[in-house]
Order: sequence, then C-alpha cells, then structure tokens
Amino acid sequence: MLGRLMKYEWKATWKLLVPVNLLIVVMTFFACVTVRMKVFESGNDGIIFSAIMILMAYMASMFAAMVGTAIYLIYRFYTSTYGDQGYLLHTLPVDKHHIILAKVIVSTGWLLCSSFLIYMSGLLLVAREGELVSHVLDSTKEMVELAGSEKVTFFTIVMTAITYVVSMLARVLKVMACISLGQMSSNHKLLTAFGFYFATYFVQQIINGIYYMFLGVINSRLDTWYYGSSWEFMLIFGLIYLVVFYLLTWYVMEKNLNLD
Amino acid sequence: MAPIVQCMGLTKTYGGKVALNQIYLNLERGRIIGLLGPNGSGKTTLIKIMNGLLNPTAGEILVNGHRPGIETKNSVSYLPERTYLQPGMKVVEMMQYFQDFYPDFRMERAYDMLTRLQIPPGERLKNLSKGMKEKVQLILVMSRDADLYVLDEPIAGVDPASRDYILHTIVQNYNRNATILLSTHLISDVENILDEVVFIRYGNIILQAGAEEIRRNERKSVDRFFREVFAC
Repeated sequence: MLGRLMKYEWKATWKLLVPVNLLIVVMTFFACVTVRMKVFESGNDGIIFSAIMILMAYMASMFAAMVGTAIYLIYRFYTSTYGDQGYLLHTLPVDKHHIILAKVIVSTGWLLCSSFLIYMSGLLLVAREGELVSHVLDSTKEMVELAGSEKVTFFTIVMTAITYVVSMLARVLKVMACISLGQMSSNHKLLTAFGFYFATYFVQQIINGIYYMFLGVINSRLDTWYYGSSWEFMLIFGLIYLVVFYLLTWYVMEKNLNLD
Repeated sequence: MAPIVQCMGLTKTYGGKVALNQIYLNLERGRIIGLLGPNGSGKTTLIKIMNGLLNPTAGEILVNGHRPGIETKNSVSYLPERTYLQPGMKVVEMMQYFQDFYPDFRMERAYDMLTRLQIPPGERLKNLSKGMKEKVQLILVMSRDADLYVLDEPIAGVDPASRDYILHTIVQNYNRNATILLSTHLISDVENILDEVVFIRYGNIILQAGAEEIRRNERKSVDRFFREVFAC
C-alpha cells in the first residue's frame, strides 16, 4: 500500500510544485542572461533598471519557491491528515507507518528537489562562462569542508550528502510530529502545534549547546583546535531526531487520533 | 455468529466532559439500525470510535471481532458527516482511489449509481455543489461490499426531494448480509427503512428495540415516540 499512498501523494502535490520548480528554472535563465549580457556596463539607465528588476524578481522567486514549497507541504499534511480529508485517510485499510512514510518521502523529495535547483541556480549565476564544472566542484568542496570534513574525498562527499538528506527528513518529521501533537488538543490545535515546534527548537538548541560545551572542555584539555561541527555529529543527531519525531508522529496517529 | 459491533463499557471523555458513558451495546448482522439522538448525544463520537478516528478513554469496542484497525477498515464502509473528497480530483479519479485501496469496491455499481444520479464521472469535485459532493461520497461508500455500513447523517445536507432517492439508493445497494448503522435526527425520513433503533442521550444508550416493536407496543410511529422521549 505504500506505493499507492505515495502515488496519490505525488498526484496531489505535483500540480502546484512542478510549476514552482519550473519557475526556478525560468527565473534562473532570465537572471543568467541578464548577468552574462553585461547590461550593467551598457550605461543605459532603462536597461540597467530592467536588469535590477529582473534580478530582484529572481531573488524573490527563489525565496518564494523555497518558503512556498515548505508552507504548502505543511498545509497539505495538516489538511490531508487531520482536516476533513483525514476522515478518508484514516479509514483506509493501511498501516499508519505507510501513511507517515508516504508523506515524509514525497515531502522530502520535493524539498530536496527545490533546494538542489536553487543551489544549482546560484552556482550558474555566479560561475564564469566555461567554468561551471570547476565552480560546482569548488562549491561542493566548500560545502563538505563546511560540514566538518578535513579532507575532501569521495567518501566524505557521499556522507555529507547523506547527512543533508537525513537532516531534511528530520526537519520534515519534526513539523509532522508537532502538528500531530497539536491535534491532540481539544481546542487551539494549530496554536498548540506552534507551541510544540518552538519547544522542540528550544530543546534542540540546548542539546547542541551542551554538545559544544562538552567539545570545548575536551579541546581545552587536549590543547587542540577542533571545529565541533562535523558530518558525523550532524548525521548521528539527525538520525536520533528522525527516529524520535517519527515515533512521536506514529504514536499520535495510532494511539491518540482526535479528529474533530 | 458474533454481533458485528460489540461495545463493552465504552467510555469517552473530552477533558472533564463525558461524551460516552460506559456503553454496552451489541449490533446484530443483516439489520438496518437507526442510531437516534439529539445533537450532542454522542452519536458521532460512537461512530468515530467504531472507525478508529477516536480512541476510547475506557472500555472496548469490537467490530467484526476486532478492535478498530486495518482488519475492521477492510470490512466497514463509513460515510462521515464531513466532505472528505480531494477537491482537485475528478469523480472518476476518486472512484479509482477507492478501487486501489478497498478490494471490495465495485466500480460498475458506482458507475451505475452515477448515471442514475446524473453525475458526470469526468467532473472535478471542486466544481460540484455541496449536495452533489455528498451524493458522490454516498455512491463511493455504497459501492463497497462491506459487512458494516456506517452512515453519519447521510441525508442531513440533501434537499428533501432527494432524500427518498438517497434512501432508496442505500437500501438497493447494500450487501444483504451486512448491517447498516444510520445516524440521523431526521427520523420521519428514515423510519420506513429501519429494522431497529438505538436511542442515545448524554452518552448513554437509553433504548434498543425493533422499529416494529415500538410501533406495536407504543402504538405510535418511531418519530412520534422519539419526540416524546427526547422532549425538552
């Protein structure tokens, strides 16, 4: 049943999200053309103004695409799981694990797709002509280093990519878990969901703080410099958060469903 | 054969408010049963628990011998009072959705009812009126060969002219060995099709009796009797 649930989740989301991703591609094309044509050196105020407007529209559309996709997926999860459509979803003869997996896989897929397109869009915009491949490689190296790897190897690149996917899955499940916990409230379901989200964020910050304090103590004793930020740390914590948020969502759906 | 629904001390509270108060109830197979009570009496709460949309605070409910779960959802066809259809989908896509998830869904029966109710299969649900959407939902629910049909206020949102037709649709299309549990407060409209009635008030079952038995013993219609029992 997982495949069927994913099929209908995809069908319900593609009509809006495919155009959103196409918008990223189209706006990237216009922005790249504007930058490559060196219109800022033309001296023509009208052309320069148009170019500025295009680049501003490009920035706005990238922001809107990312935020809009996230908001739409949150809205879709809420209405299809705990709104009126939840009456159908929760009376289907399917396992709750399959319901959660279908939603989390499709949502994460869309978010990864939008993130990747925006990332590539940024690279295309700043890369010089004929240097795109080397620019992508440099940027990947920087990202891997930023994720805490000292050496950039095939292994660290793959592990950084996996870490990024796990972090995205954990973030999606965090939102789902908070919405699920919020629906347990008799009144103010959305407000309660927001409350859980900020409480979770606060707890995560405390856990991160404790980790960095712990690292600080070790580093001072060893008298060595260590970034503290590493893909190992992010992967392990990402996996822990992923499991915790998944179980919370499942627990609410299975044991504490409270549809109005 | 065991009853299709068995409630044993079933209780549901919301905060401090009791919605269902230690209900003991058995519903037999092959009957059309009216679950009757005024607004806020606990009808919908009982139905939601039956369908696994709410969890009881105490007690137990068995549907077809199982607690609400995947097994029971395979054998229960539920019509909620809400519209659960995805507005972006076409009627035919929604039928395909039901066929994909419910092995007992009968596509030809659904097409037949759509034709009789003059609903175009290719129409998008968002373009249909509220009454039409309710009819589509009813068609989807009644096109299953379920053991139990749970219909929560199936005629409440429909114009009086269509009510008889909808009740006719229900009676003509259900699996004869199955039970229909029909929740409503429009008793005069459904009285003629009921085999049995369950009266519920303040979360308590106050009467379970045959419709004919009430008419014979009380010498009045179920509707009249209901009005007397629940008089304010």
